[in-house]
Amino acid sequence: MAAIDIPEVLKFIDSTPPFSGLTHTQQKHLLGGVELTYARQGEKMNLEGSHATLHLIRRGACEIRSAKGGLVDKLADGDCFGIATVLEQNPDGLQVVVLEDSLIYRFQKSGFQQLLQESEEFALFFAHTRSSRLRKLSRAHATDLAAPALQLSTPISQIMSRNLITAAAHDTVQQAAATMTEARVSSILVLQEQRLVGIVTDRDLRSRVLAVGASADLPLSEIMTREPASIDARNLVMHAQTLMSEKNIHHLPVTEGQNIPVGMITAADLLRHQELSPLLLINQINRQTDITSLREVCQQLNTLIVNLILTDMKTTDIGNVIAAISDSLTRRIIELGMDRYGPAPLPFQFLVFGSQARKDQSLGSDQDNGMMFSRQPNAEESQYFAKLSQFVCDGLAQCGIRTCPGDIMASNPKWRMTQEGWQQAFANWIEASSPSALLNASIFFDIRCVYGDDTGVQQLLQNMQARVAKSSLFLATLARAATVSKPPIGFFRSFLLESSGEHKNQLDLKHQGLALINDLARIYGLGCKRYHVGTKERLEQAAREKLMGLDIARNLMDAWDELNELRLQAQRQHWQNTGEPSAYLDPSELSSLERKHLKSTFAIIADGQTAALQRYARGYA
Amino acid sequence: MPKRIFQALDRWREHREIKTKPWQEHSYFVLDMETTGLDPKQSHVISLGWVLIENGAIQLDTAQHLLLDSAQIDDVSVGIHMITDSDVQEQGRRHASVLRYLRQIMKDKVLVVHYSPLELGFLKSLWQTQPMPALAFDWIDTMQLEMQRRARLQEVIGEGGYRLPACRERYGLPDYPGHDALTDAMATAELLLAQIAHFNGHEPSLQELVRMGGGRTRLSSNHKTQ
Repeated sequence: MAAIDIPEVLKFIDSTPPFSGLTHTQQKHLLGGVELTYARQGEKMNLEGSHATLHLIRRGACEIRSAKGGLVDKLADGDCFGIATVLEQNPDGLQVVVLEDSLIYRFQKSGFQQLLQESEEFALFFAHTRSSRLRKLSRAHATDLAAPALQLSTPISQIMSRNLITAAAHDTVQQAAATMTEARVSSILVLQEQRLVGIVTDRDLRSRVLAVGASADLPLSEIMTREPASIDARNLVMHAQTLMSEKNIHHLPVTEGQNIPVGMITAADLLRHQELSPLLLINQINRQTDITSLREVCQQLNTLIVNLILTDMKTTDIGNVIAAISDSLTRRIIELGMDRYGPAPLPFQFLVFGSQARKDQSLGSDQDNGMMFSRQPNAEESQYFAKLSQFVCDGLAQCGIRTCPGDIMASNPKWRMTQEGWQQAFANWIEASSPSALLNASIFFDIRCVYGDDTGVQQLLQNMQARVAKSSLFLATLARAATVSKPPIGFFRSFLLESSGEHKNQLDLKHQGLALINDLARIYGLGCKRYHVGTKERLEQAAREKLMGLDIARNLMDAWDELNELRLQAQRQHWQNTGEPSAYLDPSELSSLERKHLKSTFAIIADGQTAALQRYARGYA
Repeated sequence: MPKRIFQALDRWREHREIKTKPWQEHSYFVLDMETTGLDPKQSHVISLGWVLIENGAIQLDTAQHLLLDSAQIDDVSVGIHMITDSDVQEQGRRHASVLRYLRQIMKDKVLVVHYSPLELGFLKSLWQTQPMPALAFDWIDTMQLEMQRRARLQEVIGEGGYRLPACRERYGLPDYPGHDALTDAMATAELLLAQIAHFNGHEPSLQELVRMGGGRTRLSSNHKTQ
């Protein structure tokens, strides 16, 4: 009896391309001498000698890794491996590692080789599989070697300067300046019992001593920055970079243990190690004096983001970096506007909403912003702010941050209000509670101040939280509105059925996935005592305040990370191919394992929606 | 007399040495039978399905599915196994030749079944139907292996949890809708490989497997060998 006469074997072969396209005789020939093996999770498949042949996964999951261990491909039921060992004696040293216990068919090499000769279609299928893996392999190599990748993942200890220039808190400014000059450094660390308590930079000496005519005999403790930001030596360059961009600082002490300084990283150190970095971009942004040159600088933004994605930086870190850059850009354009139209006649805040506020922008995000005044401006002052905000929004658009299709922009007079005005606006949204109005307004509930004194915005938020807490109907309506869109759980079934038609089989990861989690997190976030704007922070806070089960919160955070990563990868690919960012994902690019993951991710969102409805909308249906 | 004792001792020692070799160095005959009922004394074997494990992998080309001709097929069996009298007529083999074939294949192999009392019982009664030379072999019962393993892990398995599909599910093995003798023999073979892969973190010897869930049995015939 031949293997093909076993009903379960024939059924599987008949439903698995490219084997399903073979004639019965060809199938029988290929299956001659086939073996079925069982490989345990973590096992490295032996692909040598008689095992250097075609393998087909009947059930399970494996990973193909490069000789250096870089991930090339993920495989699941119905996927093949070992092709390179048959065709070319595995020149790249690919390894196959078992991810989940797997049942694997191992074919006879001779039967496979003969069929490659016989059937052009069959051979083409494997040539295609082979070349797509080679492409992925070269990408794995590229990320091994590419300059930004290597440098961002370099440990800080490799590039920091270990020559510590320190002083005591009671040393005078004069003494410190002399030490710094002698050592030719631009900053000095202030220590107390070996621990870092402060930092003084060249700039501090200028602005806090010379500019205000203070005495050179002052102790350092009077002028130093206390408890400066520092970073643990175990971190990577990219962490240092993110921190420095976020805090807009140029000197970062490196510490070990209980705040014991062991080194120093300066912006110059980082720049020397990198051609294109977030920090460099921010530096350049801050140095430009007109929109035209800003625009040129910002043309590197997408390349930078693509590089960050390629380095496998964590998605939340990528979000933080992009937010730091957008914030700097926004601030710089406001400054340029004030250069042109004169200083502001009254204090104001520039607010950002939505993704920039949540710090989860990606390629091609658009702008959502507004202004808040400390008092009602008069006609002339209103004129000034109209001009300034138009300048800012146009400037941002020129620099690649597209205008908002819904016109939620500071250039729209509707979104320039006093603090009381904004408070009233929130009160109306919260108390009116019409689902459609709420859904349109939900973006405003993600809010952050990027220019001006933050205190007013904090007051606004407190006021809003208090109002939400009093109106349980509001959260019920928000929950119902936010759960109207369901995740596309059945998507892959229909993908299998329909395979033509534009966009029909493309997945919008933003609107069908991420936005749904953002919406859920917003409901819980507003229900929390403490306001957070980021989606993951909101979920964490909700779990902490026991509004949400810890497992649901964790699952949703994982789901959010996974979708975000997929979206960034899809965007990067699309951008590299066409120069246009797109949030659409073509599912045919996914392995069946990734599809399985995506399916369970959607199921997690559906569970989250059910939980939210139960918690907030019960009794209001 | 002493010579015979020494010969027996040698055979015993040889057998022991063989049994301590790693499991992959043995051949396994994985068998499933379909019967007209559950009592070997009253029911008959309708069909036999088997496949061999050699060099640690299931050799799919060795699969066999044989129908026996003397069985009475009742309606219940037709319902479960979709085998009819005409199948038996067409594909059935004479008992004697089937048994000789079976004995030839089983020689020097380890028998593997799921639920040994039933399968061994039917093998014994098959051996009674014909004059047959005796046959001794080691056997492994995947159900016993599973019960031992779960007991060691202190897991409580509910009713029906040791049936073949339930055991397979615990190892993530695929669900096979068919329940003919061949599919069940395949399913048992895959289960054994999964159990071995999870054997206390090392490659077991045949001896360890037999100790955990198996034994040694001798089939003999009351008829005089011709």
